[in-house]
Amino acid sequence: MASEVILPRVDMDMASAKFARWLVGEGERVREGQPLFEIETDKAAMEVEATASGLLRGQRAQPGEVLPVGAVLAWIVGENEAFDPDLQALAGELRALLAPAATPTPANDAETFAPSSSVDGPTRATPLARRLARERGVELAALAGSGPQGRIQANDVPPPRSEVQSRSGRLNREWLRRSEGAPVVMVHGFGADLNGWRPLAGRLPASIGALAIDLPGHGASPFAAETTLSAMAATVAATLAEEGISAAHLVGHSLGGAVVAALANAANLRTLSLALIAPAGLGPEINAAFLDGFLRARSVESLGAWMRLLTVDPDALGAAMVKTTLRRRAETGELEAHSRIARAFFPDGAQAIDIRPWLAALTIPAKVIVGVEDRIIPSRQAEGLAGTIALHRFAGVGHMPHLEARGPVGRLIEELVRAGE
Amino acid sequence: MANDTRELTYAEAIREALAIALAADERVFLMGEDIGVYGGAFQVTGDLVDRFGEERVMDTPISELGAAGVAVGAALTGLRPVFEFQFSDFSLLAMEQIVNQAAKLRYMLGGAVNVPVVFRMPTGSGLGGAAQHSQSIEAWFAHVPGLKVVEPSTPYDVKGMLLSAIADPDPVIVFEHKLLYKTKGPVPEGDYRVALDRAALRREGRDLTIVAFGIMALRALEAAETLAQEGVDAEVIDLRCLRPLDREAIVASVKKTTRLLTVYEGVKTLGLGAEISALVAESEAFDYLDAPILRLGGAEAPIPYSPALEKAATPQVEDIVAAARRLAHGRA
Repeated sequence: MASEVILPRVDMDMASAKFARWLVGEGERVREGQPLFEIETDKAAMEVEATASGLLRGQRAQPGEVLPVGAVLAWIVGENEAFDPDLQALAGELRALLAPAATPTPANDAETFAPSSSVDGPTRATPLARRLARERGVELAALAGSGPQGRIQANDVPPPRSEVQSRSGRLNREWLRRSEGAPVVMVHGFGADLNGWRPLAGRLPASIGALAIDLPGHGASPFAAETTLSAMAATVAATLAEEGISAAHLVGHSLGGAVVAALANAANLRTLSLALIAPAGLGPEINAAFLDGFLRARSVESLGAWMRLLTVDPDALGAAMVKTTLRRRAETGELEAHSRIARAFFPDGAQAIDIRPWLAALTIPAKVIVGVEDRIIPSRQAEGLAGTIALHRFAGVGHMPHLEARGPVGRLIEELVRAGE
Repeated sequence: MANDTRELTYAEAIREALAIALAADERVFLMGEDIGVYGGAFQVTGDLVDRFGEERVMDTPISELGAAGVAVGAALTGLRPVFEFQFSDFSLLAMEQIVNQAAKLRYMLGGAVNVPVVFRMPTGSGLGGAAQHSQSIEAWFAHVPGLKVVEPSTPYDVKGMLLSAIADPDPVIVFEHKLLYKTKGPVPEGDYRVALDRAALRREGRDLTIVAFGIMALRALEAAETLAQEGVDAEVIDLRCLRPLDREAIVASVKKTTRLLTVYEGVKTLGLGAEISALVAESEAFDYLDAPILRLGGAEAPIPYSPALEKAATPQVEDIVAAARRLAHGRA
């Protein structure tokens, strides 16, 4: 049977998109996964892949046309299958018309709402979303729904302003090990939390103390809309001051690497050394599909598929970590915070932050540690830094050197701490 | 009074309840086809005829209407008959006595009489009984004012609810899913009662409410374990009582979880799940709903004889998991 080529929702906020061009001609053969056409949203241009294999028939979308999400653009049909685009379109419309009233209802079929090809009409919102919008004084029409056919659900309604403000405050932190002297302060990456440092902390000698911090909007930390590196660094600095830390060795991973680079230049903290692990902020590219998929994933299967990109060994992170992430999402509002952070720091699939100016000004011992096979941030971005900053490139390692090569990375941190004292 | 607790099967728990009632109250007697020497089609009455005699464990002819009429008449004279239908399907022959007589006589005679009869109904599919021996017709009876309708899912509940039903002054229908007869669970010794109007919260959860009863309550619990491994935290309400419905328990749970899935073996259209959905939609829980209410019911077809089709015609654990997953992830 012919399978419909649909304008997909590639972005949570997206209701329509401009069709840019076909990458495959009428009647040509396509394979599932092959780039099929290009669209442009408010934010980005992107290629969309074929979801089936066969012959591309009945191209209906014209370049420049603005179409709603779900619009049928063409069909992919079997090699010897008869095809009439008008009949096909008619069949689709009939199905859409008949589906809601179809009786008798098939057994065990809990599918209540048949897909419709249009997103026009009154705003679709659940009763709960309507009540929350009413209580919070939010216009429903201004919201983008994340449910089927753009239905607005409770998590699409922004929290009341007072709640955002009251949640501002110092960050959650934990002493992974305590010791005399200036500690190592560890700052995790986007979407993670302080627990990710435990394996590395276990590799440090007992003489080195380690304090791990949950970034704003992550783990058990509140989110007060810190959407710049300076704001993140300031909140971390305030947390360190509260903890009585005036001098520290800073270790940061990914986004946390960019945060500690900013923090190294903060006035009220004496930074003794700096270790940036797969840091963000050194170049424009970042794996946009990963960010998008990571934020959209709602099941063990979908989230696990994306998180496997973090490491070279697909099982390195383990199912428990995936489940923990899902559980946190269910229990807290962190997904909303993560989405806002991603939009601020990585808009349109690019890194909108640059830490090179801060690194150029460094006079303390510093290392950049990357995995050559990093699939999130290309490792080559770490090249071209000042000659005084050591670059450690681990072969066979991905975006998580502090997990994948925790032994050697632990020794590098130890070296830095010695050099910085 | 509840004393020591042992593991009993659902069938043993029923037999124990019957024995307690027979021993405690000489007005109580049992009627049904082959419940005496044969011990019942599902071996529920077992040896009760040896212990209490043929006067009180009475085999009836194969004439449901006539025998049910005897039971209703006996109840009107002050006796407390407990009537076993071999299959709930056969109760359709006795609808006149149950619906037009037992359910209505107290009302029509201005409260001058009571009809304290209990009808026990082995119900549901799963044993290859085919179309005329496998139906789930709870909704037919739950539609009738004047009847109380229950469907316990555990040995503990079936004993306590059967004892409550026998003591109740009005007609009570007790549905017993055939697949439950061999399931085991803790059952206290002695007489204890379980209310005929209260649902049981079997599992607390945050993400969605699954309302089920009978065998489906067990399947919902099994599904909830699978869902938990995916990070979906399902609350499971075992209705137990189909008439009256425990409105408060359902509404409170939906207000908490914001999503509702109903699961029942009876035909989906106009079934118990439809009533529960409407009840929630009319209640104060409406403004808490963050997804459409979903019903998972039986096929719009007679129960097939083929074991594979029989399974396909009724909700299974994986169907519950799939529906709950879509609800919890905002894809319903």
